[in-house]
Amino acid sequence: MSDPAAVEFQHVFKVFGNRKVLDDVSFKVNAGEALCIMGRSGTGKSVTLKLMIGLLKPDSGRVCIDSEDIAHSSEEDLSRVRRHMGFLFQSAALLDSFTLGDNLALPLRRLDKSKSPSEIKRAVDETLERVGLDLDIAKMPAELSGGMRKRAGLARALVLHPKLLLVDEPSSGLDRITASEIDDLLLKVKKEYRATLVIVTHDVRGARRVGDRIAVLDQGRVIGFGTATELDKSDHEVVRRLVSES
Amino acid sequence: MWNFFAFIGEVSFFGLKALVDAFRPPFEWEVFIYEIEEIGWRSLPLILAAGFALGVVLSMHTRGTLVQFGAEALIPTLQSASFFNELGPLVTALLVAGRVGAGIGAGLANMRATEQIDAIESLSVDSFKMLVVTRIVACILILPMLTVFMDFASLAGGFLAEHLASHISLQLYLDRAFKTVEWANFIPPTLKTSVFGFIIGTVSGFFGYTTDEGSEGVQRAATNSVVLSSLLIILVDVILVKAIFFLFPRNAL
Repeated sequence: MSDPAAVEFQHVFKVFGNRKVLDDVSFKVNAGEALCIMGRSGTGKSVTLKLMIGLLKPDSGRVCIDSEDIAHSSEEDLSRVRRHMGFLFQSAALLDSFTLGDNLALPLRRLDKSKSPSEIKRAVDETLERVGLDLDIAKMPAELSGGMRKRAGLARALVLHPKLLLVDEPSSGLDRITASEIDDLLLKVKKEYRATLVIVTHDVRGARRVGDRIAVLDQGRVIGFGTATELDKSDHEVVRRLVSES
Repeated sequence: MWNFFAFIGEVSFFGLKALVDAFRPPFEWEVFIYEIEEIGWRSLPLILAAGFALGVVLSMHTRGTLVQFGAEALIPTLQSASFFNELGPLVTALLVAGRVGAGIGAGLANMRATEQIDAIESLSVDSFKMLVVTRIVACILILPMLTVFMDFASLAGGFLAEHLASHISLQLYLDRAFKTVEWANFIPPTLKTSVFGFIIGTVSGFFGYTTDEGSEGVQRAATNSVVLSSLLIILVDVILVKAIFFLFPRNAL
């Protein structure tokens, strides 16, 4: 019997107003795998991520995390599942009124009630050191550069040692060198945490480097799914153009 | 017209939900204390300065009229009656609506636009309780306290103006100011500002928390929060004054 998928979408539909954002989307992400989701703007990539962490509910279909359907689970069950998930938002989404240290401590205080204040402090220090921000623990988010904010957002997503890391546009708004540094961090996380990664990105170079497989969304449907090499040979022109490095 | 009633219903439901949630654990003490400081402590300089200046101005205006009737001894009484009964509560609420209402509206809208609210929800934290309920409760509790500061700052301003004009002593000024003041003149008008606090917190919280217009929504939320809060404060004040007169008939004399 094969291992259960870390993430599985089964015939998921999602409509906003009269716009069909996801139209019968089904795919699986294996445990320990890095899946990059690509597609043109407005094709439902970020919605897919938000469905995975339960911020949105599908209109129909199942969204399973470790075989548990979170689309129909209670808040308590969702909270338990989220204990093993991290989310790096496109804008990093650090809380403006909290210091960097408090931003990282928040998930520990809310989702891991077993930790003492000193353990929380140690976990925050270690995670910040991992992303190279250990000297900036007392800074407010407004004092950080774009790249630093992204790394801080990644640190907050990692502080609970997630089994599933969801990443929304890790390279948006960053120069190529900083974007590459973020990709390095993601690769390090995948290796050291043995985490499953789902990354929404427009950055072909990063997707080919970090992703084991790539899913291409277009008009709410999955039109390509496979390794970068497989997708290079796709019959679908949109897929070839999106994953092509040139 | 239907949209207007639907909107009023939405805002009312939003405020009532916040009141119910305020008594439902877990309580967000850390955020609540931060909001008390943000809304109360940081508004204090504005309230004190405005109260003092208004006290000076009111004293100067009334002196010109009352001197003509040889009734300048009534200036401190008039000053305390005006501020304790009406000006203190109303001006405090309008100043807080401007400073805090805009801040709450813009702050929450910005948190929505920059996905901070999603980030909180992704940690299974009830963002409504953490961000909205704490602000509304802080407004409800802080407004009466700020009103007391406004009242006494205005008396200080009034005394200064009178002292410079007539060399009245502090003792005599206070005796005259408090001669006719009873608890019924002071407590109900001061406590009615809790209702104003509820209005400011609810209206600005509603505009900020429910926006989905990105950065454009931030500006709109700030403006709408101030305009609607101020308007509602003035309209509700009429009802509250009438209610106070009904419950404490001596206040109406």
